[in-house]
Amino acid sequence: MDVKKISKISMLLSISVVLSLIESIIPIVGIIPGIKLGLANIVVLYILYTMTLKDALYVSILRVILVGILRTGLFNITFLFSLSGALFSLIFMFLFKKITKLSIVGISIIGSIFHSIGQIIVAIILLSNINIIYYLPVLLFSSIITGIVIGLCTNNLIKLKNN
Amino acid sequence: MKKIVLLILFIFILSGCNKNDMYDKTLFYMDTAIEIKLYDVDEEHANKALSDIEKMYEKYHKLTDRYNEYEDVINVYYLNNVLKVNEKIEISNELSEIINYGIKMYDETDGYINIAMGNVIDVWKEYREKESGVPNLYELDKPIDISYISLTDNIYLKKKDVKLDLGAYVKGYVTELVGKYLEDENINKYLINAGGNVKLGNKYRLKKYNVGLEEPFNTSNIYKTLSVENVSIVTSGSYQRYYEYDGNIYSHIINPKTLFPDNYTKSVTVITENSAYADIMSTYLFMLPIEDGLKLVNEKEGIEAIWYSDQIYYSDSFDKYEQK
Amino acid sequence: MNKSDFILILILSTVIFIFYLFLNDKKSYAYVYYENNLIKKIDLKKDDIYKVNGYNGEVIIEVKDNKLRVKKENSSLHLCSKQGFVNNIPIVCLPNKIVIDFNNNEYDVVV
Repeated sequence: MDVKKISKISMLLSISVVLSLIESIIPIVGIIPGIKLGLANIVVLYILYTMTLKDALYVSILRVILVGILRTGLFNITFLFSLSGALFSLIFMFLFKKITKLSIVGISIIGSIFHSIGQIIVAIILLSNINIIYYLPVLLFSSIITGIVIGLCTNNLIKLKNN
Repeated sequence: MKKIVLLILFIFILSGCNKNDMYDKTLFYMDTAIEIKLYDVDEEHANKALSDIEKMYEKYHKLTDRYNEYEDVINVYYLNNVLKVNEKIEISNELSEIINYGIKMYDETDGYINIAMGNVIDVWKEYREKESGVPNLYELDKPIDISYISLTDNIYLKKKDVKLDLGAYVKGYVTELVGKYLEDENINKYLINAGGNVKLGNKYRLKKYNVGLEEPFNTSNIYKTLSVENVSIVTSGSYQRYYEYDGNIYSHIINPKTLFPDNYTKSVTVITENSAYADIMSTYLFMLPIEDGLKLVNEKEGIEAIWYSDQIYYSDSFDKYEQK
Repeated sequence: MNKSDFILILILSTVIFIFYLFLNDKKSYAYVYYENNLIKKIDLKKDDIYKVNGYNGEVIIEVKDNKLRVKKENSSLHLCSKQGFVNNIPIVCLPNKIVIDFNNNEYDVVV
């Protein structure tokens, strides 16, 4: 990887970390757990559309680790939770982008819902309790909305970059 | 890809759907709520069964009612309060059988289950309703000897004014009849909860029935979870019906040997196939020292028990019923 | 946004709708689980305070007006206590390994 690329990725990484941290401070987040704006996803989505999957993976994983160091703690349940959400989300965004005709907004929605689904699955496994699945409708509902918002933001970002 | 997404969605939807073909009803008889659930059965069949079951509980409710008389029914109230000493009367087959079961159980439980305890139970009931005081031995000196009862070929006679009280096993007894009825009707997956007298048929899903046991005096806590099918479960506990006086708990189960509600555990839960037997045994074990109860249960086949006392005691093979 | 996007939203909305059908009967009890074990059954009709032991310490649960919330618990983000009063969606306190739910799928009968 050349220097230019490394610095680009580092920049994007720091932005996504900052976005994550800002988000955790905003009170709206607190109302129902798991419901978040997913601002950091703007970065991941951007990378997915302008760079490679590998780059997106690096940034995703490193972001979770950095936020873990700074905020939630490493290798505890919350960390596992974030990691699974991020990975699930990225993998399915990549797959759907490759196989379907969804626009960037649609892919963003996919990212959002699979982030939630990933977290629910991990929560069910870690707590051995299937009832958590009843949480899904609420999460799915907010995922659609945040997905659209994030998708539109990223779309505009890419348009700006190209001009 | 869209097909895969649709399939996943379909599975999510199905996961909520295991309530198909379940019919249930709640009845109120014998001073308790009775919940019946039938699984994997069609509507017509289920409705007929539920209606028949209601009739069964109603019939035995009337037959064993100690406080009300019913037209055209010679019931326990009649035998206790209308029938005179040494007067003979013919009773129905059903009443005769349930009384005979009690008489048989007197011998099997060494006299701890005594259907002739009505007089003493009444005295304690008065005190429990007042919620204060304790009867003295003079007040408790009433006829309770079961040998004063004679029942041959459906002819009932009492040689002294003893009063019948079938409360120790009537719910279990009728629930067992209901279970047999359902099996005769080929309805094998069922759940009956007659005020704590539980009888379960075959499981209706991959997992067996999950049964939670409540902690005595703190019933929002579940202290044990069972995973079972084809068993009856009955708990006797001092927390079920009691009053507190002068720092002591007086439960509703009166020990025929001492005439007081003496017991050695906060609760005991019995698991065995026959519901009437489970009811009898849980009442019996409740009045025995735990050591004796453990010995008794471990000697018998097909019955397990758990005691909640200063600690939790288990019969030898109880763990086969526990949820893993 | 294109046609595929709208189809996606349609499918998701249908799933959500179906789930809500299952969620909407009035609940009278809440069930508190520690990992897979039911540790408390709470009557929503009585306003009360309950204490249970979570992985990180005591978790305090409050019932008021037929709704329930986690009042206090030990964790770094306090997500589940910030959730407030609910009576239809589960409360998940992941660090404490506590789940509070209103559907008793786990228990067929409690005696």
